[in-house]
Amino acid sequence: MNEAVVLDYRDVRKNFGSFVALNGVSIRVHKGEVVCLIGPSGSGKSTLLRCTNGLEKLDGGEISLDGVVLPRSETGMRDVRRRMGMVFQSFELFPHRTVIANVMMGPVTVLRLSRDEARQRAEVLLEKVGLSEKAESHPASLSGGQQQRVAIARALAMQPEVMLFDEPTSALDPETVGEVLNVMKRLADEGMTMVVVTHEMSFARRVANRVVLFERGAIVEEGPPAQIFDAPTVARTRDFLGHLGWHG
Amino acid sequence: MLGDLDFSPLLDSWRYLAGGLGITLGLSALTVVSSLLLGAAVGFARVYGPVWVSRVLTFYIDSMRAIPVLVVLVWMYFAFPLVAGVSLPSFWAAWAALTLHVAAYVAEILRAGIKSIRPGQVRAALALGMSGVQVVGKVVLPQAVIRMLPALGSIVSVAIKDSAIAATIAVPEYMERSQTLAGQSFRPVEVFTTAMVVYFVILFPATRAVDMLYRRVAHLGRS
Amino acid sequence: MSFDWGIIWQHRAELADGVAMTVLLAVATMLIAISGGIVLALMRLSPLRPVSAASACFVEFFRNTPLILLVYWAFYVMPVAIGVEFSAFATGLAALSLNVSAYNAETFRAGIVSIRRGQSEAALALGMSRWQVMREVVLPQAVRRVLPVLASTWVSLFKDTSLVSVIGVSELAYVSLQIRSQTFRILEMLTAMAVIYWLLGYPQAKLVDWIHRRYGVSE
Repeated sequence: MNEAVVLDYRDVRKNFGSFVALNGVSIRVHKGEVVCLIGPSGSGKSTLLRCTNGLEKLDGGEISLDGVVLPRSETGMRDVRRRMGMVFQSFELFPHRTVIANVMMGPVTVLRLSRDEARQRAEVLLEKVGLSEKAESHPASLSGGQQQRVAIARALAMQPEVMLFDEPTSALDPETVGEVLNVMKRLADEGMTMVVVTHEMSFARRVANRVVLFERGAIVEEGPPAQIFDAPTVARTRDFLGHLGWHG
Repeated sequence: MLGDLDFSPLLDSWRYLAGGLGITLGLSALTVVSSLLLGAAVGFARVYGPVWVSRVLTFYIDSMRAIPVLVVLVWMYFAFPLVAGVSLPSFWAAWAALTLHVAAYVAEILRAGIKSIRPGQVRAALALGMSGVQVVGKVVLPQAVIRMLPALGSIVSVAIKDSAIAATIAVPEYMERSQTLAGQSFRPVEVFTTAMVVYFVILFPATRAVDMLYRRVAHLGRS
Repeated sequence: MSFDWGIIWQHRAELADGVAMTVLLAVATMLIAISGGIVLALMRLSPLRPVSAASACFVEFFRNTPLILLVYWAFYVMPVAIGVEFSAFATGLAALSLNVSAYNAETFRAGIVSIRRGQSEAALALGMSRWQVMREVVLPQAVRRVLPVLASTWVSLFKDTSLVSVIGVSELAYVSLQIRSQTFRILEMLTAMAVIYWLLGYPQAKLVDWIHRRYGVSE
């Protein structure tokens, strides 16, 4: 791939006490690429995402965004976070605000957009995720899938260069997983750079340009989905996919 | 100014103050015991008694939530003898007033504890063929008591703090003796500051113990 | 013994002034103590150790001393420590505010801590500053959880204003006790005082129950 490198992870390390969460991880994410991180629970994939936007501090190595190493300071990190959208497993919509106010919050408080501009932007995004009619509802009255679509719209409202998805469908009822994955697929088709931690193998296979398999804080194998799912070169990959009932 | 503090009157009168502290602790302890007994009786009767009893007791509890302790104390000491024809010594008037007041809180705590047990628990126990008394004694109370423990523990602090108000009816407890000493020695700053520290030293461990108890037992009470 | 209940009606104007003073004290104290409580709670949650420790000491000290003693202490110590003579009202207000601020600080702290960490993380991920996270996301949610507790504190405060009568603030208890000693109508005045407090406090207690049912979080 000849596109510019957006995110560059170099030998990233992170410990929680004596537990080694990330043990020297290096990945390059190019512009417009969709990278899916898969692997067993506790293998470090979510930690990598949280390190990416500074919710966890690194213990070693570095991460660059557009060639600039991420700062360690809280204030410096704030500017970087504006350029990355993050979607959480548990949605984390703000329950005291309406749906549209949730989407407007970033642009208004962080980008200092006028309320009118922010509202226009939010309306377009809610349309995009198919929830225009829920604009004035409160999050509690939405289904999990709807809440997660709002959360995606909220992240997109910052017009980020890259989107980080931390197991976006793990907390959802099975029947609403599809609607969220569809929104993500469309986003990928539009050329958004995405890093997705997921257990949805069929999504990884269909949408990812590259799949990275994690285990115990390190990369086991990475490559295009066709390689990982159909012709893994590492025995561990076969085992992991086999446990999930994936057989090509 | 604060520069020329003189704590010697406190040292000279330490026996007098210590005696007051003994009365404070004695009054508080008696209040805690009697409030728990009266409060438990009131709480049970309110939850499980006939409707009219429940109404009367609710009225009593809510009235105690509405009227200041000071007012109950003063009324018990000065006005009650005029109605009843017998006057109470100030210590016992204080004990009666504080009990009346604190028991209402105990009753509230008990009710909230019992109400917090899910109805499913009672239904499950009844389905096993238990009697009403058995359901309360073997299923409801054991769970409720654990949830109530922290709130009941805080009654100790409440009793100690409220006992200081008994100074207004001249019960010679620590607060009242501090006032007397402050007046005699013309050293109110030293005397009252010392009193603040003394009460803190007694109350702080009590509060901390309750907080710790809360953390310990919180998970046990969940269902 | 004969009773003269007309004495209450004769002194209705003074009693009404006493009630007004009680209400004023309670309202003023609560306003001060809400701001004070928020500041202390934020200090308590500060990552700076000395700031957090200072707040903890303040809160624990004033939570663990009898209010009536605090009233005397403020009366005698404040003028000496600060070098300014305060009116009885200002002294009473200060004592009540110190006490209630300490309680409110704990209430707010518990409210803030009860908001899941994911909520702040989601706000941080949007690029908000710590202060914006607090103001836009955490505090508005905490307030809802805090409201029932504040309501209970209000009822306690309303009763506790009676304790500043000991330094001569002319609120309801002081006025009633004064009329008692001038007229020697002990039973009448003390009963009237109790009844007036009851009339004011009973609806408040009922309102608090309603607020707990309406906003109480059952988690």
